[in-house]
Amino acid sequence: MTEFAAYTIIGLSVGAVFALAALGIVLIYRVTGVLNFAHGAMGMFSTFVAWQVFYGYPHPGMPSWAVTAEAILAGLGFALVLGLVLELLVFRWVRSRPQIVKAVITIGVLLALQSAASLIWKNNQYHLPIYLAPQDLTRTIAGVPIGANSVIIFVIALGLAFGLAAFLRWTAFGRSMRAVSDNPTTAQLWGVRVDMVGAVSWMLGSLIAAVAGILITPFINFDTTSLTLLIVDSLAAALIGGLVSLPLTVLGGFILGLLETYPTIWIQSLGFPRLIALVVILAVLIVRSPRGLPGTAK
Amino acid sequence: MPGHAFRFLIAIVAFAVLARLPVGLDAAFQFDAALALIWGFGILSLVLLTGYAGQVSLCQATFAGVGAYGAGMVVASLHGGYLLGIVVGVLFATVLGVLVGLPALRLHGITLAIVTLGIALVFDKYVFQDHLFDWFTGGTGGWQVTTASILGIPVDSSKHLLAAYDVLLALFCACAVLMVNLHQSGAGRRLRAIRDSEVAASTMGVNLTRYKLLAFALSAGMAGLGGSFYPLVTGSVSPQPFWVFTSLQLAAIGVLMGIRYVPAAALGGLFMAVVPDVLTRYGHGTFMGRAYDISYDWFQLGVGVLLVLQLILLPDGVWGDLRARTAPLSALFRARRLKEVKPA
Repeated sequence: MTEFAAYTIIGLSVGAVFALAALGIVLIYRVTGVLNFAHGAMGMFSTFVAWQVFYGYPHPGMPSWAVTAEAILAGLGFALVLGLVLELLVFRWVRSRPQIVKAVITIGVLLALQSAASLIWKNNQYHLPIYLAPQDLTRTIAGVPIGANSVIIFVIALGLAFGLAAFLRWTAFGRSMRAVSDNPTTAQLWGVRVDMVGAVSWMLGSLIAAVAGILITPFINFDTTSLTLLIVDSLAAALIGGLVSLPLTVLGGFILGLLETYPTIWIQSLGFPRLIALVVILAVLIVRSPRGLPGTAK
Repeated sequence: MPGHAFRFLIAIVAFAVLARLPVGLDAAFQFDAALALIWGFGILSLVLLTGYAGQVSLCQATFAGVGAYGAGMVVASLHGGYLLGIVVGVLFATVLGVLVGLPALRLHGITLAIVTLGIALVFDKYVFQDHLFDWFTGGTGGWQVTTASILGIPVDSSKHLLAAYDVLLALFCACAVLMVNLHQSGAGRRLRAIRDSEVAASTMGVNLTRYKLLAFALSAGMAGLGGSFYPLVTGSVSPQPFWVFTSLQLAAIGVLMGIRYVPAAALGGLFMAVVPDVLTRYGHGTFMGRAYDISYDWFQLGVGVLLVLQLILLPDGVWGDLRARTAPLSALFRARRLKEVKPA
């Protein structure tokens, strides 16, 4: 029972990260119509920038929390720039193209980012994770050890999800983003700056991907490919939310995290969780009506 | 479009020329030539599935991998002949293709891309690497194929690499001609109708189920045919060549070269086999006093950047763009042929 509870904690932490990554995918998909296969790769690159700052340079005389903060700020700052650059150099020029063409372009971005990262930080090599809290900081509640890292991940994921929903719902810019997502042409006629909205969505999406990437490093074999390939799990969570709904996406992330974690009690296999993600994807797509996903009927 | 006999002639000439081409080269380039055909099959299968039938797939390397493991299993574990290995490899890949095609009946566009990416990842991390499937993958060491013969002709990689290359080349030329013929046939027209609009195609009486499954089965079989030669050419099978990034590269290079054109498959296969090898072999040294070392990752970086540039600037791919630019030239030929025909 204790074991079960411990796995639940891990599953919820992993699920929180899936939920975060999926939120970024849904945000970019809803506003710009691009299904971003490079979402994992973008998060991976920003995470490695943070890792480089964390481990790559000596930080004489700085307390450890300041080093962590510096690394995270560097990673997030890079993520903002990466999102803006991708929008300005690539996606602004293909706005009127078919959805599938835009998705294939993101595959090009994925390949480029993954190989660039593996040139800089070497491929298939284990990197030390970035801990937000000391690894051994745990409280035991009713016999179940709860790591501070798990709690932090959980809180940040939920906080960001609610923050994003509130931003979209109650701010003027959030309203513009929802307007563009409903109909870009009409939004433009009403005076919404569509280019600006697109740029901000890419920067926000990239930022969320970076947060997800930095948070998940303690839970996976942290290298350039594993973070890039998290895209499949994130897409599964995003599909549970139908690529539209933010609350359902977060719920989907947690469900997927638990579904992928529980079997590891019995099955010691690195690949088995991927099979579960695929089954979830197939189940969601087949249960929903073929034209049930927005934009796919075009 | 040239007629049947002319197409056949082109294929024969291409075979005769290409079969002679790697004879004088060193063993590494002969190996590249054979590998180029294996990946060429992978891209040719995408031309059928994506270019003709409009079905996106990000798991073509998985089909090739299943073909390779099937052939490796028959030869190394069951001690069958290599011809049987190829048959089993193609059969396994075709069956997997139909299985992938089943959910594809209800999906299209980006959702199909998501599902096929998931399948590529599951096969990469689970089926090709988990001990549960050791009977199929030969465990961590994979299968070793040292001696092999097809119909009595020795084709093993160590001494008779060119024989294997010739067999592969003959099959590739045959498949290329069949693909062009398919494009002109009734089945090809139905596939293209599905690509342009599924609703319109089914309204016109095209059996969507049959033709989508047909496209997936043929495509997977073709990718598996190329893959089943992999153990023959390299002497062993391992998961790495068929991992998810190879699938993504196949799709990227196929689109880059022109996903609707058969010759683009040969071009793409050549690109995928030769460029990384040349980069890793000759890409290190010193230039203007600075040491440089170009690794395989530069190839994938180049593919990614080129794909993005191509989709923005040349939407029809390299071969499609070449065709469009040489259109006045070929129109000249066509006009002359028409004139010749007229008096008769």
